[in-house]
Amino acid sequence: MSITVEDLLPTGVDVAFSKIVETMALATSQSTGATPMRALVGTVVAVGPADRLAPAAEALSALGNAGTVRGILISQGDLAAPPPRVAGNTVALHGLKPQFLNNAVAALRLSSLPTLVWWRGGSVDALEGLAELADRVVLDDDPPEATWARAVTLFEDTAFSDLRWARLTEWRALMAHFFDIPEVLAAAEAFSRLTIFASDQRVARLFAAWLESSIKFRDGFAVELKGGAPDTPLEEVRLGDRDQELVIRCAAHRTCLETEVSVTGHRSASRLVQLTDQSLGALLTGELKIRARDAAFERALRRLTGVS
Amino acid sequence: MPANPLHDGLRLEPTPGPTTLVIFGASGDLTRRKLLPAIYNLSRRARLPAQFAVIGVARSQMDDEAFRTQFRDSLKEFAGVDAGASELAQSLASRLYYLAGETDDAGVYQRLQARLNEINGAEGVLFYLAIPPTIYGTVIEQLGKSKLSEPPPRGWRRIVIEKPFGTDLDSARALNRLAHEYFDEDQVYRIDHYLGKETVQNLLVFRFGNGMFEPVWNRRYIDHVQITAAETVGVEHRASYYEGAGAVRDMVQNHLMQMLSLVAMEPPTAFTAESVRDRKMDALLAVQPLVASTDGQAAPVANVVRAQYDAGWVNGAEAPAYRAEKDVAPGSMTETYAAVRFNLDNWRWAGVPFYVRTGKRLPKRTTEIAIQFRRPPLEIFRRASQSLLAPNLLIVNVQPDEGISLRFETKLPGTRMQVAPVMMNFRYGTTFGREVPEAYETLLLDAMLGDPTLFARHDFVEASWSLITPVLEAWRGQGGEIPKYEAGEWGPKEADELMAHDGHRWRSL
Repeated sequence: MSITVEDLLPTGVDVAFSKIVETMALATSQSTGATPMRALVGTVVAVGPADRLAPAAEALSALGNAGTVRGILISQGDLAAPPPRVAGNTVALHGLKPQFLNNAVAALRLSSLPTLVWWRGGSVDALEGLAELADRVVLDDDPPEATWARAVTLFEDTAFSDLRWARLTEWRALMAHFFDIPEVLAAAEAFSRLTIFASDQRVARLFAAWLESSIKFRDGFAVELKGGAPDTPLEEVRLGDRDQELVIRCAAHRTCLETEVSVTGHRSASRLVQLTDQSLGALLTGELKIRARDAAFERALRRLTGVS
Repeated sequence: MPANPLHDGLRLEPTPGPTTLVIFGASGDLTRRKLLPAIYNLSRRARLPAQFAVIGVARSQMDDEAFRTQFRDSLKEFAGVDAGASELAQSLASRLYYLAGETDDAGVYQRLQARLNEINGAEGVLFYLAIPPTIYGTVIEQLGKSKLSEPPPRGWRRIVIEKPFGTDLDSARALNRLAHEYFDEDQVYRIDHYLGKETVQNLLVFRFGNGMFEPVWNRRYIDHVQITAAETVGVEHRASYYEGAGAVRDMVQNHLMQMLSLVAMEPPTAFTAESVRDRKMDALLAVQPLVASTDGQAAPVANVVRAQYDAGWVNGAEAPAYRAEKDVAPGSMTETYAAVRFNLDNWRWAGVPFYVRTGKRLPKRTTEIAIQFRRPPLEIFRRASQSLLAPNLLIVNVQPDEGISLRFETKLPGTRMQVAPVMMNFRYGTTFGREVPEAYETLLLDAMLGDPTLFARHDFVEASWSLITPVLEAWRGQGGEIPKYEAGEWGPKEADELMAHDGHRWRSL
């Protein structure tokens, strides 16, 4: 069954394009009643196929502590003037021609506040025009290869990130903490293999690319990607050689990560760290707090795509 | 390439090195209500190091397991967390240890050292005094004599001391002297939990992270400043402490003077502990004495009003008089309300009074800083306004509804020129949600990281006591009855008169 604009914003109202902002202001003041109106902190533009925009609409309404945003949901199609639908601070345009994406966003985004584009798929040709309007583009395509390849060419003009990358944040943090131990940093030259157990091989490849683009390992360093449990994108990472090893893995209930370090000169230590909320809303909340370019992501993606 | 290339681009906040937190007063209220939930939340946010442990020290006879049970109960009661279902809480509980003993028993400190060695927890040690102020000295001395205060070659030792830090200038100096006998100043963290509140920290960002406010932040544009810390609760179960303290010692000397200094300080050259604390100290040094010198005669206290609550009605119920509360002396002269006018003698603030008030059993629980600007020099809209135009007002809400509001005049819609004040509001809760860290989380973490920016320095504590102590001494020499206010009202008439004398009035909150 095909998705309609009513599916995207069930509680919304259909309005003329020129009345979108006015309708949003009215809806917001009515819903808040006597309480002070919420300060908006930016615009989030979600672009993608209609079936991937429904969860995006839900995520936008649950952005948590990132603040209140103006949400713009756009699915690509062949309409030059799809009827807009507004619910609260969110507007949906269903089936807009890709070449008009940037025009729609230019008209609807909040001025003077950051615009974040959440790219959930579609014609990558439209990505370039949108990136020019955005302060930050968060990639979330499936499959992502074509988008990744295009994004690499746009790094110099716009800050990019990726939700797969965001899912790696805690894993990367724990790996980084390992390397805070002087003995681990010294031992890294001898490490000869990286083994990753993951159900999402693209997440695994991104992690491997990050590590290899950050640390110079010895010649012949081997990366092995293996399958993982389906309930988590990444299950376990092991880095080391025959005698030394750093391990990060999902704990039994999948709510925590546990680590083990076993390196010459450093006693074995284990640690349990809470895995933060990995829902779309929570990941996007994290992305909204960032302004700067992410050099580590850019390096990793360049290595992964082979584009320098 | 940086020393650790994996940190590059990683959006991580700093995590302390290996740390053992030693809590004196581990079975007490502060530990259960604030410290243990704060530790759990820091762990949840991945802000604790891999090598982290807690050793609780208290008189109550408990073993490690009982202390862990207290931890789980505390999470359930004060953080709403079911520790049994949380892997993280279970993991954290396994790193909690307990030591029973009297704080004046040297053997306790030997056993503490042994315990630190046993759990490999001797690298970084943070001692937290969550104990009655009367035994701060005992613990500091014992830590010093047992050499526990001395940092090892690859480690650190720090001590967190709760308020009140002394009861007057002499006792504060004595406590500082004792602390400095065994700890360097950079090891001593005097905690004032108000400084850990999000909005108080935001005051620094608001003032020095924006270009438009600082140019008007002075005597030319600001008429006066009002700082209010109002509570609806009475003395509750703290009468034994409060009887000897009162509102001035409990609130003015620490929390309110900290807030005053943040409003009044000059811009620091950098956001570093020394720069910020130096500028705060400068502001405090500009405050003029509250009590006029009268050559040995009874000193008039014209800048301070004290009062005590009488029976009344607050929070939807009848409230007893302070003197009728449990453990309060029938003839108690302890003030439950204080209003103070501070005058600062410097180029920025000369002639701009800072009014500070705090009290128990007031109509609302609220803490705020209100900056009242001067009126326009010419009131061209006098005929268009029903009354005098309201002056512009900038309000920093510290609690419970953290945020910043700006009041300004606007034209009412319509064909006539009518003017009315409106508020422009920014609220943390509605803009960023409620997930702001508790003050104790922020401050505990800062102490572990060795960042004293949000802690009181020894000279600040002594300078604030040197302003307050003469007031307390003058009151001690006064006879007569303490002024009263009805519970549920905004303080005594004398406080209104204090303002009226300058042509001002307290904000209606």
